[in-house]
Amino acid sequence: MARVYNWQLGREMSYWYPESRPKRQFAAIFDTNKCIACQTCTLACKTTWTSGKGQEYMLWNNVETKPYGFYPMAWDVNLLEKLGAQNWDGQRYAGRTVFEAAQAGERALGWRPEEIDYAHPNVGEDDCVNGVEKGAHFSGVHNSWFFYLARICNHCTYPACLSSCPRASIYKRPEDGIVVIDQARCRGYQECVKACPYKKTFYNALTGTSEKCIACFPKIELGMQPQCFVNCIGKIRFAGWISKPENARPDNPIDFLVHVKKVALPLFPQFGLEPNVYYIPPVNVPRDFLLQMFGPNVDAALETYRNAPKDKDLSGLLTLFGSTEMIVAKWKRADEQVIGFDESGKEIVRVPMREPTLVRQPFDAARKVARTNIS
Amino acid sequence: MNARNAGSTRNLYSLSCCAEAPIIASSPSLGGRGLEVRVVQQWTDPHPRPLPQAGEGTDSRNSRFVFGLGLLLGAALVFATVLPGCKRAGPPVSDAEVKAGFEKTLPTSIDDAVWQRAPLHPAKLLLQDMVEPRLMQASTAFVNVQAVSDGQRIAFRLSWNDASPDDLPGPARFGDAVAVQLPAATSADAPAPQMGEPGRPVEITYWSAVFQAVVDGRKDDINAIFPQAKVDHYPFEAAALKTGSPEQVAMAKRYAPARSLGNPMAGPRTQPVQDLIAEGPGTLRLSDKSTSSGTGKRAKDGWTVLLSRPLPQGLQAGSRTQVAFAVWEGSHQEVGARKMRTAWVPLALGASQ
Repeated sequence: MARVYNWQLGREMSYWYPESRPKRQFAAIFDTNKCIACQTCTLACKTTWTSGKGQEYMLWNNVETKPYGFYPMAWDVNLLEKLGAQNWDGQRYAGRTVFEAAQAGERALGWRPEEIDYAHPNVGEDDCVNGVEKGAHFSGVHNSWFFYLARICNHCTYPACLSSCPRASIYKRPEDGIVVIDQARCRGYQECVKACPYKKTFYNALTGTSEKCIACFPKIELGMQPQCFVNCIGKIRFAGWISKPENARPDNPIDFLVHVKKVALPLFPQFGLEPNVYYIPPVNVPRDFLLQMFGPNVDAALETYRNAPKDKDLSGLLTLFGSTEMIVAKWKRADEQVIGFDESGKEIVRVPMREPTLVRQPFDAARKVARTNIS
Repeated sequence: MNARNAGSTRNLYSLSCCAEAPIIASSPSLGGRGLEVRVVQQWTDPHPRPLPQAGEGTDSRNSRFVFGLGLLLGAALVFATVLPGCKRAGPPVSDAEVKAGFEKTLPTSIDDAVWQRAPLHPAKLLLQDMVEPRLMQASTAFVNVQAVSDGQRIAFRLSWNDASPDDLPGPARFGDAVAVQLPAATSADAPAPQMGEPGRPVEITYWSAVFQAVVDGRKDDINAIFPQAKVDHYPFEAAALKTGSPEQVAMAKRYAPARSLGNPMAGPRTQPVQDLIAEGPGTLRLSDKSTSSGTGKRAKDGWTVLLSRPLPQGLQAGSRTQVAFAVWEGSHQEVGARKMRTAWVPLALGASQ
């Protein structure tokens, strides 16, 4: 075990390999408040990458309803239970990561889902238990809550899948930090399936190998965002590059949201993988649940997000989400417009802070006719 | 499944979600987990075993009496047949080493008469608990090894007890397997028994029950593994594509990345064995030449596997080397480094007559 620095934990930790960061790191931001669980991302991924034999059950991208939705079944609560209660000491994680809590003979603390755990994606997550009587309504304080959690591989800085593979069949691309399984080398031991806390590697029974999200790297190489990003109806996603905190650049959209505004947070940072998909937490969910899921910066992130309408830079940058298929490497706000640039500095998108509106009168005086559709 | 869920159309990838047709669950090893489990009670056991009959396993006086009587009768039978002349049934036992007697023609079957006389070495299996990921709980205790050689090739007959046949791949599902390992170069100082060492390779012949089932005719199809799976459509099986045409075959390959890269795990498969080379843990790779052959058969309480391979370079009739064995018990989640294995065992090749 080597000692590596995990900035999300504010401390060094044990990892199977020494620290080796890629030239640049693919990262993403998901705004959970905008997700409507339409699953268009899921289908975009499915039709692009996993229509083959043996891939039927695979969802490299999935959207689940929290707290009771999982894919695979209980992926997070199973591991949380195995890990046991752990503490944060302010910004510093005082507990054990999955690497530090590994049992004898293992490289990481984990568990391996069975077929049944993959058998019913989304079934029953959102359904009412009983029918609703005509006229029934709820009055009072609405204490019930749920939110949609869209998930892909986190392309972690310290991937548990990679560290657990006894054959070193998994690698992190030095050029973009995308984590991939070498399909020529994998022998299907499913150690990665056991070790990945997010359960984002999947065993293909017909090719005898495990497969996973590749962040659509052929698109990334062309400067484009992955399929699940550009097909998102709710425009909740934004792909780009993240720097280490000490190198954060405010004109890098991901850095601005993660490091400057600290409005987007890693999913289960306590597992210790330094995941690179960052979530703007949902505003309507009990604090304790969010603390467990996104770490100790939840309160500040929610406060910042709630105040976004007063923060023109923040609300401006959020309008760039879903505005272009290209990766926005740099951005700036010019008064009421937000401009995205590619890496060469070329402008690729310009979005107004507010879309212009036109109010059409219900009666067209020129034609002397009433408009039946004025939307 | 509750009625409220029946007929739900939120299934994302063409899986039928009705209560009578469980989706991909057909494993005989499904554990009980609440609501979901009730859905899959109708799986088809690919290895049907007789259900326990009423009264079995009860601790009644009757059953104890019958058991005791059976024991007495059995013992009497053993004394009557074995003691006179002190003859053992089956081949002689060689505890210290594997003795590969010389045979002009190598057997091609596990039932060949030669196995009645080839010495049997009960190889004691140890936990692979030296490198991560380790096996922490022992399973298979012994593998019975017999071997014969014709001076060019060597054939091993390996048999071991295994109550549960595991030959279906799947999530958290692993096949039973066995392997024979020999040093690539013959020398008095054998390389490390755990997969060899850098610059000092070992050659491994690996047999898998999953491979065997495919060779024996299991279809290369999701329904062969999950009988009740429903799939609407594969793009490479579109009506516009002629099945088996070069375009169709090429397209199907693109949807199976490991297959298109020639990964030996990915099939399609004509042999239940693989020739592998290793120079230390984690370095296993396919050998350049495929020279081994083999076949495995399931008996009531275990596996018997015949493996045949050329003698390693420099080895000939009358010479000696080392051999090691490994057994994987699929139902015990054994795969890769998680296995029961032996240390080096001396292997003596009989001289040609």
